[in-house]
Amino acid sequence: MLSIKNLHASVEGKEILKGINLEIKAGEVHAIMGPNGSGKSTLSQVLAGNEAFEVTEGEVTLNGENLLDLETEERAREGIFLAFQYPVEIPGVSNLQFLRTAVNAMRTHRGEEEMNAAEFMKLAKEVSKQVDLDPSFLKRGVNEGFSGGEKKRNEIMQALLLQPKLAILDETDSGLDIDALKVVSDGVNALRSEDRAILMVTHYQRLLNHIVPDYVHVLAGGKIIKSGGRELALELEEKGYGWLGIKDEETADSAAN
Amino acid sequence: MKPAPTLSSAFLESAGQSLPEALLELRKQRGTALVDMPLPTRKTENWKYSSKYLKLTDDMASTLPSEGKALSGQEVPGYRIVFLNGVIQPQASELPQVDGIRVASFRDLDDQEAAELADQLDNTLDDKAVQLARLNAARFEDGLLIRLQPDAVLDQPLFVIHEVTADASGSAFPRIFVDAGRHSQATLVEEYRSSGAEPVMVNTVTEFKLADGANITNVRLTMEGENVQHIGATGVRQQRNARFESHTVGFGGPLRRHDLQVRLEGEGGECKLNGVVVTQGKQHFDNHTTIEHVAAHCNSEETYRNIAADQSHAVFNGRIHIHQDAQKSNADMNNKNLLLSNGAEIDTKPELEIYADDVKCAHGATIGQLDEISLFYLVSRGIARREANVLLTMAFINELVEQIPLETVRETAHTRLNQFFDQTFQEV
Repeated sequence: MLSIKNLHASVEGKEILKGINLEIKAGEVHAIMGPNGSGKSTLSQVLAGNEAFEVTEGEVTLNGENLLDLETEERAREGIFLAFQYPVEIPGVSNLQFLRTAVNAMRTHRGEEEMNAAEFMKLAKEVSKQVDLDPSFLKRGVNEGFSGGEKKRNEIMQALLLQPKLAILDETDSGLDIDALKVVSDGVNALRSEDRAILMVTHYQRLLNHIVPDYVHVLAGGKIIKSGGRELALELEEKGYGWLGIKDEETADSAAN
Repeated sequence: MKPAPTLSSAFLESAGQSLPEALLELRKQRGTALVDMPLPTRKTENWKYSSKYLKLTDDMASTLPSEGKALSGQEVPGYRIVFLNGVIQPQASELPQVDGIRVASFRDLDDQEAAELADQLDNTLDDKAVQLARLNAARFEDGLLIRLQPDAVLDQPLFVIHEVTADASGSAFPRIFVDAGRHSQATLVEEYRSSGAEPVMVNTVTEFKLADGANITNVRLTMEGENVQHIGATGVRQQRNARFESHTVGFGGPLRRHDLQVRLEGEGGECKLNGVVVTQGKQHFDNHTTIEHVAAHCNSEETYRNIAADQSHAVFNGRIHIHQDAQKSNADMNNKNLLLSNGAEIDTKPELEIYADDVKCAHGATIGQLDEISLFYLVSRGIARREANVLLTMAFINELVEQIPLETVRETAHTRLNQFFDQTFQEV
């Protein structure tokens, strides 16, 4: 489904990704782990099409189509979904209006009829229940005044509504307490299907206890330095990133504490 | 030093004599006082950013004809007054018939009513600050008088349609005077429109006197065409516990100026001033507001938003003056500005003058662009870029548009805003 070959990308002239190679097939769940600053978030942003990042080399295809030629909104319509690490607050645009506009943009792209306000409201209420968000959140500004956990649940709710082919989850576990982590994981697991792939980007392996990946990759210095199965994450948990010769201040700090 | 330019004598000749004697006399006095008035230049502080847009050529001096045109406005439901080029058109109007409420054309007043009005007119605005609004007092051909007896309640909003037909150059000078008795209530909607393409000027003054406990809402939609200079002033004086609420939505033009001056003269008075301005192309819009906290224990709340696209230019100047005796004043002023292009300009200046020591005042002004990260977030969900731009721009003013108390007015504003979006954000 997704094929990344020798991907290089920079931001403000500084190279962050230095030759990423990754193949993801439909139905698979991949986890990318790595210390802060390794390029995890950059990879997510580049795949989603953030223009702040410049691709300097390499290619990315989604089901054979050159992804890098597509605008951000076209990528989304082709099935790329990024759950943001820091979902954006947009006061003045109601969550409901935002979600309906997005869903209808997808439907129009697929040649389906747009959903009217009443139909969409019904759907949105159902899905908000699935991620344990009170329907009152639909009336509020997009992510406006939401807690960290509510924002992450709102991201998963969007994924459930938009039904992407490839869902990229950028640090979706950060800032979640254990109950919220469970809700978010249940939502992600509900997304798992034969014709959908999931790419999780995470610093810690605790999310992987709830969403069990098929493959784990370790990203460091802008390259994937090790790939393996689920057991690789457990090994990292136990031994820390230092085990692979990677400096990781945060992990070292938390180990010291 | 070169003397400042003054109004050409052509501007000081009032043609029509259809007003009662007392008002003709008032007009004449005001005209005489204008002879030496210096016109605003870029050195005039309150016209610093806008004088360059002002074009008072002699062909603008004639009064536009007030007859013989097909009239719009009939689609407006309920009470309505239609002004054509500054003169009320009774056949197109639908006057309220409510006990305790007098709504009349200045032309229809008897001598006694006219004399009473002449005494009241033209003392809500600070002459020095609204130089050009003074021209209205020297030139008005008609006007709308609204008198609310104590406790009278206007059961529906009154729409005033100010139509200007620009088939030839000239000016129109519509005027409104509202005298709201104790505890009376009314909503007045002013809508400024135009047809025709010749350069014209609308010079308009609206005055409100609010007695104790009166409650007035004023909505103002400025929507004339690209050929119309609009110089408007609204003056408000409030007594004890009176409440005034203003909602203005303005679209730019060759010159657009609105001065809004509120005097809180009795304790417990409250005003809320909301304003939205949208400009594009080479348009201009200048809002100058003044709130005078004269008495103690008054509240004022002011929120203005400007959006400037292309090479347009918006100006906001908000002055709050807390007088020495106005203890326990609460004043909150907020002005946010959105630049949609590198060529657009917005000048904003909050001014606070505080002479009392026990007051709560806050003011804030910001200028920014559409947030790239918000835009990325929206398009990453498949939303078209144009749609995302519209959502974010609308988000900037939505809160204020939604506060306009009438759905028909909100719809009119939305229709015009959509035209603005269509021209500003191209399909990609």
